[in-house]
Amino acid sequence: MTADHDPREIHAFVDDELDLKTRLEMESRLEADADLRAQVDSVRRLRQAVREGASYHVAPAGLAAAIFDKPPAPATKPEPSRREPSHPGRWLSWFAWRPVMATAFAAVLVASGAQYVLLQARQEGALADEVIASHVRSTLGDHLVDIASSDHHVVKPWLSSKLDFSPPIGDEMVGGAKFVGGRLDYLGQRPVAALVYRAGGHVAEVFVWPDKGADRKVQYRDDRGFQIAHWSRNGMAHWVISDVSREAFVGFVEAVAAVEGPR
Amino acid sequence: MSDEQNRQRFEMLALPHLDAAFNIARWLTRNDDDARDVVQDAFVRAMRYFGGFRGDNARAWLLQIVRHTCFTWLRENRSAELTTIDDDDESFPELQAPAADEPQAVVQRRFERAEIDRAIASLPIAFREVFVLRELEDLSYTDIARIADVPIGTVMSRLSRARALMRRALVPVNRPALRTVPKSIRNGERA
Repeated sequence: MTADHDPREIHAFVDDELDLKTRLEMESRLEADADLRAQVDSVRRLRQAVREGASYHVAPAGLAAAIFDKPPAPATKPEPSRREPSHPGRWLSWFAWRPVMATAFAAVLVASGAQYVLLQARQEGALADEVIASHVRSTLGDHLVDIASSDHHVVKPWLSSKLDFSPPIGDEMVGGAKFVGGRLDYLGQRPVAALVYRAGGHVAEVFVWPDKGADRKVQYRDDRGFQIAHWSRNGMAHWVISDVSREAFVGFVEAVAAVEGPR
Repeated sequence: MSDEQNRQRFEMLALPHLDAAFNIARWLTRNDDDARDVVQDAFVRAMRYFGGFRGDNARAWLLQIVRHTCFTWLRENRSAELTTIDDDDESFPELQAPAADEPQAVVQRRFERAEIDRAIASLPIAFREVFVLRELEDLSYTDIARIADVPIGTVMSRLSRARALMRRALVPVNRPALRTVPKSIRNGERA
């Protein structure tokens, strides 16, 4: 039983807001603790129900025009806010300082950008290892698919009922490979959808999960005899792996990417 | 930079967040016309204080002003709704262990939009604010803390309580009290 869990931690876990150490601790506790899992599931389901069901109120037509066609109102009294203390001279001096600030910003951006790139490369390497491990496990054992069907109308709802997202799935044949089913998997510390294709004796797997980052173009790598490609698009990260030839793999990857519509 | 250029720069920066601004104002005031007035007022203020904007995270900066304008408006017009929340009140029912059948019940039911909307609208405002910023605007805890002007710890406890209240509103109340669960079910598999 888990009376000792801080509920805030469970919510922060579901929201992906825990620091890495706490997150890993939580994951190992989750494996051992069915009650904790039930609580996490319960929060996830509520979250999904709200995100799918709640009304989002978009601005009524004409509001933008009403705001932006208005000339700026003359400054009266300063905003009683700690964060934007404002007096008339202040923003003039801000504009005067702009070139200096811009240079400083740029330097910070370059420095943090370099670190970001390094971090990202490390994370990608680790993820590629996980993708290979998962692919090998699934092909070695007898656990390629959880749901065997070439019909995406069957597989897609099954996967989205188990996950907090709905993976894009194309037709039965994609780039010369036959869609044989889907599986749940766990990569990059989150549950992901694995879509399984067969072409002759080869197996190709597409791992998909939501990714908050910006869109990224397809990048190829080969590692231990496997062809791997990954990209992010429309808020979804995709990793594809197979042991087919490079040419066949590129054709397949392009066909998979095209499932989401033309670029 | 001329006033006109400044205005254009503001428009370019603020316009993409108009829907988010309206959505938040609408959930806080619970009324289209009031939300419209509040957003209009907030954007006029934002334009005036644009000089104080440092160029990072326009969305959080703008939504903070919208949120501030909302609360000013509520204080003037509906002060009864602004009850204070005791964030340290540990006795508040948090996330209780769900009954074994609850996840099934939740996943099997399709919630009506009206039902979910009603549940959100009935949250006390301090919870509703954090909940809407998180679930409908998908903002990080850091951004929510900035917009709602509270520490991150408070964001976390309010969100946790908001979700507990939401669950209570959505899941039927006549669920059985906690009872001993057969082992097969506890393992997540139904025979």
